[in-house]
Amino acid sequence: MAFKEPVEKYNNSITEVSISDLKVGGQSVLTGIYSFDGPVPNPPKIAMEVLDVKPEEWPQTLVDAVGDVYDDPVKWALKCQNEFKADMICLSLVSTDPNGMNRSAEEAAKTAKAVLDAINIPLIVYGSLNSEKDGEVMKAVGEACHGKVILLGPADDENYRTVGGASLGYQHKVAAASPIDVNLAKQLNILLGNLGVPLESIVIDPTTGGLGYGIEYTFSVMQRIRLAALAQGDDKLKSPFINMIGKEAWKAREAKISESEEPSFGNLATRGILWEAITAINLLIAGSDIMVLRHPESVKLVRSFMNEFFK
Amino acid sequence: MSNKKVITIAESINIMSKTIGPAIREKNKAPIQKMAVEEAEAGADYLDLNLGPARKAGDEMMEWLVKTVEEVTDLPLFLDTTNPVALEAGLKAAKKNLPVINSIDARQESLATKLPLVEKYGCDFVALTLSDEGIPRDANERAMCLVSIMTAAAERGIPNEKLWVDPIVLPISVDLNQVLAFQEFLPQVQEICPGAKTTCGLSNVSNGAPTDELRRVLNRTYLIMLKKLGLYSAIVDSYDKELMDYACGGLQDIEDLVFKMMDGYEPDMSTLTEKQQHYAKSVRVLLGKVLYSHSWLEL
Repeated sequence: MAFKEPVEKYNNSITEVSISDLKVGGQSVLTGIYSFDGPVPNPPKIAMEVLDVKPEEWPQTLVDAVGDVYDDPVKWALKCQNEFKADMICLSLVSTDPNGMNRSAEEAAKTAKAVLDAINIPLIVYGSLNSEKDGEVMKAVGEACHGKVILLGPADDENYRTVGGASLGYQHKVAAASPIDVNLAKQLNILLGNLGVPLESIVIDPTTGGLGYGIEYTFSVMQRIRLAALAQGDDKLKSPFINMIGKEAWKAREAKISESEEPSFGNLATRGILWEAITAINLLIAGSDIMVLRHPESVKLVRSFMNEFFK
Repeated sequence: MSNKKVITIAESINIMSKTIGPAIREKNKAPIQKMAVEEAEAGADYLDLNLGPARKAGDEMMEWLVKTVEEVTDLPLFLDTTNPVALEAGLKAAKKNLPVINSIDARQESLATKLPLVEKYGCDFVALTLSDEGIPRDANERAMCLVSIMTAAAERGIPNEKLWVDPIVLPISVDLNQVLAFQEFLPQVQEICPGAKTTCGLSNVSNGAPTDELRRVLNRTYLIMLKKLGLYSAIVDSYDKELMDYACGGLQDIEDLVFKMMDGYEPDMSTLTEKQQHYAKSVRVLLGKVLYSHSWLEL
């Protein structure tokens, strides 16, 4: 008897979310690379992260890759678009952090608008992860970017009214972030829904743990959310995923520590890139739809891995 | 009392409580006696006296608490503390009924210090399925804990009938798999330990839910579900009148609905009253058919 490949079929699908002219979600398979189980209308996307201010204490590997442009978010974004072929740009407004530079929402909105106007790929704008300030910042960013559709975030259980409101008021999409918890992810989508934000506007940020630093928790929460959505038909969880991978991967000691300090770890440059790429590939297998990365070489690696599935 | 359904142990006399804690420390009888009377009037079969770890002067506190409560009620008591010295003081102080020790678990220290009390006084005890490895992760680990306790008890000639097995209820908002593991394990208790009774800290299932009223919906639903799975008794919030009504034989329509759903029946929500809908939605969540969220009743 000939071998017949088993196929996992689900009668539910992930909601398709359109960010400008780019779509994510729409699949009825567990992850966006399981094309052997069924059609994947919108394969996962790679966004490259751009900070709104020159990063401090970056690992040399990253400085070598983007150090020529990393004091100018517009140039940086253009380089990611033109040279590194990113699908999207994720602008992180780290300078708005009240515990740091505390830049105003208006200034941040100007930067976001300048990046949006310069690029011709879709834009994600993330705050500094200070709930209250992010609410304020996203309102200003949403208004400044009105007319094009961007992905705003993250909304959490404290600021979902303001961030969700910015999405509703200016027709943007919103990333809903919960702390690696399937029940809380569902609750936040319900709360956003109660506010009037439709599922077609929501992407889930399940909170990403880097390789070696909690990635297994993120992995299993993403799987549980996908199974609830596809196997149980849980309408509130049929959202695509966004994962802030670069940020977490490059925090790891293993990605940064020099060869002289840890000779057994091997070549520093390769190591950091692999750390980011492997984090990404793990989460790709868990169902990531938008992977936010930092290094152009890991972008290439992840893309070549994905292409294997779509041959 | 003929149609009594689930034996209830009232949970509210607890040193963690804002009113009871200070009353115990200041030896102020009035608030405690008031609560004991209220719990008895609510239909409780036992009163749990929870002193927590009671490391400092636990024996003196337990002795005083037992006497204080026995002055106003004839109900038997659960002595709820991890301190064996306090347990013995309570066993000695009780004059009306022999109290139940709450609890003895499978940790070596717990078995070594508390089983001798069971042997000496002939009292019952809650057998909590917890071991030196911590809280069991599934039904099998619960069984291993229970076997350890049973074996240690049997070595001292203590029969299964003395055990009130508590397989540890954990919150639905934290880990569905633990809620399911409890449901899987409960019916196995009679096979593993014939003659034993079962009990549980029911209210823990709703820990983390946003309001007291929402918590009660989960507690009530879970009690009915566990009744179907053979639960003998539960440590409960006796101030929840609807829950006590059920425990005392009421809510037949709700019990029918919950039991049928546990056998696979899917009701048409539009034909149910709002109250029935709340139970039905909670059953779905507690069976893992729908993923829990704090807004589970609104969906």
